[in-house]
Amino acid sequence: MDIASAFGMSEIALQLLVGLSRAMILFIISAGLSLILGVLRVPNVAHGSLYMIGAFAAYSVNQIVGGAAGFWLSLILAPLFVALVSFVAERVLFCHLYEREHLMLLLFTFALMLIFGDLVKFFWGVDYKSVTAPDMLKGSVMIFGLPFPAYNLFLLIIGPVVGFALWLFVSKTRIGKISKAASVDRMMVGALGINVSWVFCTAFVIGCFLAGLGGALIAPTMGITLGMDHTIIMEAFLIVVIGGLGNIWGALVGALIFGVTQSIGVMLLPQFAIIFPYLAVVIVLMIWPKGLLKSVW
Amino acid sequence: MFKGMIHKNTAFFLAALFVVFLFLPKIIPSYYVYFIASVLVMALLAMSLNLVVGFGGLFQFHHGVFYGVGAYAIALLVKKTPIPEWICFILSPFVAALAGLIIGLICIRLSKLYFAMIQISLGSLLWALAFRWYGFTGGDDGIHGIPMPSMISGVNNSYYFILIVFVVCIVALFMILKSPFGSTLQAARDNEQRCEAIGVFVKRHQLFAIVIASFFAGIAGVLFVVLERSVFPDLLFWTLSLEILIMCLLGGWFTFAGPIIGAAIMLSLRTFIGIQTEYWTLILAVILALLIFFLPEGVWGYFQEKLKHRKEAVTERGQ
Amino acid sequence: MLYVDNLINSFGDFRAVNGANLTVEEGEIVAVIGPNGAGKTTLFNLITGHLKPDSGRISFKGEEIGGLPPYTICRKGIARSFQLLNIFQRMTVFENVQVAVLSQHNRSMNIFRPARNMMIEETNHILESVGLLDKADEISGSLSHGDQKILEIAIALGNEPDFLILDEPTAGMSPEETNATMRLVKRLTSEQGLTLLFCEHDIDIVFSAADRIMVMQLGETIVEGTPQEVRENEQVQKAYIGGESCLK
Repeated sequence: MDIASAFGMSEIALQLLVGLSRAMILFIISAGLSLILGVLRVPNVAHGSLYMIGAFAAYSVNQIVGGAAGFWLSLILAPLFVALVSFVAERVLFCHLYEREHLMLLLFTFALMLIFGDLVKFFWGVDYKSVTAPDMLKGSVMIFGLPFPAYNLFLLIIGPVVGFALWLFVSKTRIGKISKAASVDRMMVGALGINVSWVFCTAFVIGCFLAGLGGALIAPTMGITLGMDHTIIMEAFLIVVIGGLGNIWGALVGALIFGVTQSIGVMLLPQFAIIFPYLAVVIVLMIWPKGLLKSVW
Repeated sequence: MFKGMIHKNTAFFLAALFVVFLFLPKIIPSYYVYFIASVLVMALLAMSLNLVVGFGGLFQFHHGVFYGVGAYAIALLVKKTPIPEWICFILSPFVAALAGLIIGLICIRLSKLYFAMIQISLGSLLWALAFRWYGFTGGDDGIHGIPMPSMISGVNNSYYFILIVFVVCIVALFMILKSPFGSTLQAARDNEQRCEAIGVFVKRHQLFAIVIASFFAGIAGVLFVVLERSVFPDLLFWTLSLEILIMCLLGGWFTFAGPIIGAAIMLSLRTFIGIQTEYWTLILAVILALLIFFLPEGVWGYFQEKLKHRKEAVTERGQ
Repeated sequence: MLYVDNLINSFGDFRAVNGANLTVEEGEIVAVIGPNGAGKTTLFNLITGHLKPDSGRISFKGEEIGGLPPYTICRKGIARSFQLLNIFQRMTVFENVQVAVLSQHNRSMNIFRPARNMMIEETNHILESVGLLDKADEISGSLSHGDQKILEIAIALGNEPDFLILDEPTAGMSPEETNATMRLVKRLTSEQGLTLLFCEHDIDIVFSAADRIMVMQLGETIVEGTPQEVRENEQVQKAYIGGESCLK
C-alpha cells in the first residue's frame, strides 16, 4: 500500500507530529528513569506510579485553584509533590538497599508500586478524573493546512525545554557532574570523599520530579485513572533500554522511536498500532544488543 | 528411580499429603476445592519459572506469556479446530514450548536486564495481539465458555485432574533439576564463565531451560482453562509475570518447593484478605518489602537454613 | 603442542597483549611470568577462548583455535583454572567436579537420569587424587580459600585434559599450602602425563617447577627459554627483577 497516496503528505506529517509530541512526554518520564538507572543502578518500577501520582496531584491542584492559573500551577506543584514523596521514599527505604542485586531492587520497587497504587486508590478513589487545559492550549492550530491540536504543539515546545534544562543540570552543575561521574564509577566518587548518599538522593528526586512532570503534562490529554502506571512504566523501561541505560540522550532517541513508530502504526494498521513500538524495540535490540547510544552499565 | 534423592520420611510425608489432597473434596466446601485447584495451577507456573530464574539465573521477566500462550492455544484449538479435545491438551504445552523456543532464541544473546527487556517487549507484542485481534482471540473480552470433556468438568473433577497433572509435573521438574542437565544449569547460574571453560555450551543449556519451563508454563495455562473455562489478555500482561516472580521470592529462589509456598501465600492473601478489604495488594506489598529487607532467601529458604543449622548443631554435638 | 605466534589483543586503546609468542611441547611444564598487568591472564583468556584475539595465531595440536568459543576449545583438551576464585559456590564439592566430568562425557544435556548416580567413580577418583574426597559433600562456598583453589584444579581435571592451564594456582595461600599445592600439581602432571602451562608470582616456585619460562612485559614476550637462559638474560634482569640478585 502506498501510504502517501492513501493519506496525503500533510496528513502523514501531522500524524508524525502527533507521534513526536507524544514522544516528548515519554522522553520526560524516561529521562528521569534513565537518570535513576544510571546514577543509582536502581531499576525503579515505581517510577510509573510517581507519574500517576503526578497526574492525580495535578488534578487536585486544578480542583482547588481552578482556571488557567490552576493548570500552570499544577505543572509546578504536582512534580514538586512527587519529588517530596520520592525524597521520603529514598531517605527511608532506598538508601538502605543500594547494594542489593538488581532483581531484588526491581521486586522491591514493584512492591512500592503496589503500595503507591493502593494509596492513590485510597486518597483519590477509583473514578476517572480529568483536567482541562487552559483556553490558550485548547483547540487547534493550522499546520500544513490541517488542524493540529494546540496542546500537542505545547508539548513539542516543552520537551526540548526540559531536555535543555536536564542537560544544563548534568553538565554544568557540580552535583550534576558528580552524579555523572558516579554513574560511570561509583567507587571513584566515593573515594574522592564526596558524600555519595546525597548525590544519589538528589539524582533520585530529580528523576522522580520528571516522572511527576510527565504525569502533570499528560493529565489534560487523557483520563486520569488507576492502572495508568502499568503501561507507562513498561514503555519507559523499553525506551531507556533501546536508548542505552543511563544515557539521557538515549532516552530521547528511544522516546522518538517509540512515538514515531506508533504513529506509523496508526497509519498502517490502526487496530494493531500498539504493536509497532514493541516490534521496533525487538528489532533495535537484536541489532544493537546494548542499546543505540552508549550505556553506562 | 528416586533412590537416595529424597529422604524416606519426606517421601512418606509427601505420599500421605497426596492422599489427604485426594480426599479433600469429600471434606471441604467446593469453594475451597476451587481455591486449592487455583493454587496448584499458580504453583506449577511459579515452579516452572523458578527453574529458569532460581536455578538457571536468567532474568525471565515475562514468563506469564508462556502461560498465556498455553491457555490461548487450548482455547483456540478446542473452539476453532475439529481436533479431538484430548489431543488439544497434549498439543497446547508444545505450542507454549515453541513460543519459548522462538522468544528464547531471540533473548538468549543478551544478558541480564537486556534479556529481561527484550523478553518483555516480545511478550507485550503477543499481549497486544491478543488484546486487539478481535476476530481471532476475542480481543480484550477474551474467550469464554470453552467446552471441556465431561470427565474433567465441574469443580471436583477438574480438581482431581489438576491435582494429578500437578503431581506428575512436579515429579518431572524434580527429576530434571536433579539430572545432569539440572546440575549443569545450576553450575552455569553460579558461574557462567567457569561453566564454559569446562566445555559446556551455556547458552544452549539456558535456551533448553527456557523451552522446558515454557512447556510446563503451558501446562499450567491448560490447567487454568480446565478450571476457569475462559481466557483473556491479562494472562499475557507483564504484571502477572512479576506476580509469579514474587511468588518465587516469597517462597525462596533456591529451593524446589518454595514457589508452591509462595503461590499459596499470595493467593490466600488475594482470596481471603481480598474479600475483607480492597487494599489487599497493600498488605502483599508490605510483606514483600519486609521480606526483601529481612529474608531475601524467602520463607521456605529461611526455614531450610534454620533446619540445616539445627541438623549441623545436632551432628556436632553427636561428635 | 601449543603454539602462539605474535598474538595481539586490545581493550579500547589499551593493548593488553601486544605480540606474545609461546611454544609448549608435549609433556613440558612451562611458566609465564611478568609484572602485574603484563598480560598473563589476558594471554590465558585468549588461549582458552574467553577473549578473541585481534590478530596473531594460536594453534593447538596443529589446529588453529584462536577465536573459538571456550566450550569448543575445552573439548579439544585444554582445561584451566582461574586466578580469582571461580567455582560453583552453591553446589557441593562433589557436584562441582561432577559437572565437569558430565560435560566431558557429553551427558550435560541429559534430563532423564538422576545425576547423583552418574560418574561417581570418575568424580571420586579425581577428588581422591587432589585430596578433597573427605570434603565431597560440603558446599563448596564454605571451604577454606586453599581448598577452593584446589577444587579449581579438580574441576579442571574433570575434563580429562591433555593440556592444563593454571592461572596463579597458589594465589593467596600460605607458604606451606603453596608448597603442598605445587607438589600436588607436579605429581598430577607426571601421573596423568599432562602438559602444564601456568603463571605464578613466586619466583622460586617458577624456577624450581618449570622446564621452560616465558617472560612478558607490557603485553610483549621479551624472552622465552630454560630457567637458566632466563636467569642469565639481561633484559629480564633489568625489566622484571629491577637489577641484580633475586635470581640466584
